[in-house]
Amino acid sequence: MSRTPLERIRNIGITAHIDAGKTTTTERILYYTGVSYKIGEVHEGTTTTDYMEQERERGITITSAAVTCEWKNHRINIIDTPGHIDFNIEVNRSLRVLDGAVFIIEGVAGVQPQSETNWRLADRYNVPRIIFINKLDRVGADFFRACNSLREKLDIVPLPLQLPIGIEDSFRGVVDLVEMKGIVWEGGELGAKYHDIEIPEELKEQAKEYRQNLLDTALSVDDAAMEEYFEKGDVSVATLKRCIKAGTLSGAFRPVLCGSAFKNKGVQPLLDAVVDYLPSPVDVPGIKVAAAEGEDEASERRRIKADPNAPFVGLAFKIINDKYGTLTFVRVYAGTLHSGDTVLNTTKGHKERIGRMFQMHADKRAEIKEVSAGDIAAFVGLKDTATGDTLASPEDPVVLERMAFPVPVIDISVEPKTKEAIEKMSIGLQKLAAEDPSLRLRTDQETGQIILSGMGELHLEIIIDRLKREYGVEANIGAPQVAYRETITRTHTETYTHKKQTGGAGQFAEVKITFEPLERNGGVVFENLVVGGAVPKEYIPAVEKGIRSQAETGVLAGFPTVDFKASLIDGKYHDVDSSALAFEIAAKACFREGMKKAGPIILEPIMDVEITVPQDHVGDVVGDLNRRRGMIQSQESAGSTVIVRAHVPLKEMFGYISDLRSMTKGRASFTMQFHHYDPVPRNIADEILAKSA
Amino acid sequence: MQPSRLHWKRGRTAEQAGGTCTVEWIGCDEGGKPIARVVRIMGPLYADWRRYLAVALDREARIIELRPPAPEGAEWLAYVGNRVVGRAAWPLQAVRRVEAALAMM
Repeated sequence: MSRTPLERIRNIGITAHIDAGKTTTTERILYYTGVSYKIGEVHEGTTTTDYMEQERERGITITSAAVTCEWKNHRINIIDTPGHIDFNIEVNRSLRVLDGAVFIIEGVAGVQPQSETNWRLADRYNVPRIIFINKLDRVGADFFRACNSLREKLDIVPLPLQLPIGIEDSFRGVVDLVEMKGIVWEGGELGAKYHDIEIPEELKEQAKEYRQNLLDTALSVDDAAMEEYFEKGDVSVATLKRCIKAGTLSGAFRPVLCGSAFKNKGVQPLLDAVVDYLPSPVDVPGIKVAAAEGEDEASERRRIKADPNAPFVGLAFKIINDKYGTLTFVRVYAGTLHSGDTVLNTTKGHKERIGRMFQMHADKRAEIKEVSAGDIAAFVGLKDTATGDTLASPEDPVVLERMAFPVPVIDISVEPKTKEAIEKMSIGLQKLAAEDPSLRLRTDQETGQIILSGMGELHLEIIIDRLKREYGVEANIGAPQVAYRETITRTHTETYTHKKQTGGAGQFAEVKITFEPLERNGGVVFENLVVGGAVPKEYIPAVEKGIRSQAETGVLAGFPTVDFKASLIDGKYHDVDSSALAFEIAAKACFREGMKKAGPIILEPIMDVEITVPQDHVGDVVGDLNRRRGMIQSQESAGSTVIVRAHVPLKEMFGYISDLRSMTKGRASFTMQFHHYDPVPRNIADEILAKSA
Repeated sequence: MQPSRLHWKRGRTAEQAGGTCTVEWIGCDEGGKPIARVVRIMGPLYADWRRYLAVALDREARIIELRPPAPEGAEWLAYVGNRVVGRAAWPLQAVRRVEAALAMM
């Protein structure tokens, strides 16, 4: 597969807020690079990367899709990702394995919440990126306002490499500030034909000013380029491109390009920028191996460099089950692998034999016999490899850093319509959960119902729809429920003695545990502070197990308890009657008693909501948000619309879209994503407690 | 764009995550005499048992504490002799401040 030299490979993702034009841009890329002979459109359900039935019906991307194209003698592997927050896991895992990304920003609204979330994810994985300000043909589009929103909301140095020629319906091309020329697109040929022009007279001064800004910013990362500038008063295009690439890789600044993908303008220079400024697999520092047990997460660790001759290392980042079996998508970081080879799943510690290997093109596949460093391919035949597992050669069995997955915020109960479908549903849901790490599956211990937890109403709706279409299971679902959590507000120490010594084999265990609150997202922490053998070492894991399992069912309303630390500080045991089971029971009971006295409260998910609303409906929308316990964060004008941002409890947001539509005669839209957990107000807590009782 | 009227050469360097980078450019006249400098403001810096929020080093590398610290986007100081003639976000901008100040003198 990897016949292209590594320096000429680009593994990139295209990511943005919902409806900013990711799939539309990808379609143009495939057309201009000759992969497609016609341009598919999202609204017609004919795009290459949105191949699932649900994607085509709804006009949204649900699952990330990989495609490959060639541009100027470079191979570009592209992953088109979803914009909707409910499918953020797809962005997460794609950014984890990519070397670079194109962030598409809407030219009217500027940076939107999902762009911010994805930007932070790319920060986490240190992904170099370039920005494409899209939809400059739209009414209200403003390139400079969008650039300012990049600076303000993402806290970055945006570096325009282009300026728009015209705006809204007069948008016709761009000024290239690197080569100081204009590029305009002709009407026909779907944008495939474009030509250079002189910079229009009215833009010359502005272009000069922005060119100077480009030099000031870009040259600061390269001392030799500064010297060239001092000597000649300018630098060569090659020097400038070298500096832009260096700054892009270090994150000193972020190159900004512009266009209108839908109107077929600006996409070819974007491809040039991908080739010129985004890294090849050998330009990046290499992927980090995981921290060893007890090692600090922030410590300097070994990196795996892209080298086809090194021992094989790859990361499984996506699983798909289709009618042909399980496909495991793998990013190859080092080494070369042939179909039929055996590798080690170093995360789980067992061997896996590689069956067939495919290069994927959305839902189409081409069989390949070999993969090597820098490639992204799909493997068939892996028996027990999950998303985030490392596959490595036994010669160098490294484990790569694991992926972090988002926490589900919505639960629904699900049961098959017929008894016969119980087994089919169970298999289907397990397969879907294996594909999607942001989907959790559990059985409610009290009701015996299967509970699906996901990222939002749309996420769960799609899962139920897939269950029906792909596994033939019709299911009844309960109303969506908020995934509440419980926590404590003060420190309390509890002693509990579990004693059953009334004839026969007895049980004895005593534990003294201090429960203390942790900060939000602190999780559940267990610490053993016992000295002098008051609780023998072999029983400590049983105490931890008891605490963790009981934490799944909180003391107030049975919600999982989080953000607390349990420290085992003392205890007693009996030489004959003590056992691991006795200590586990004692720990569970100690949790139940102790938590009640540690000021337990219920937490609810608070969502970051962004509503784009025409100016004459702002008052209604804001008033309604206040009634929903929302806290308005900001209101910004963008042309004739206003963007309202608020923090609103998820509980108050179920069914919001229909209320918003009726309030604004269908002229407003909104997006929301999880922001944080907050304690619920007293009256709501009482409601929840009454319901659970 | 005109070539610079001064001859600029690299001055002090500092270790950064990506390697060594120049944090001072020295502007010399025709005779090679240093008459101007642009210096990157550093900080926080610990020296002499003190924590300095923002500092610039003078020609003898003595610490000059800057109070208040430079506003964001103005991390380079432009000097002619010992006089600060401007602040800038990037070294090239600071160089232009120097040259503009010299043209006024």
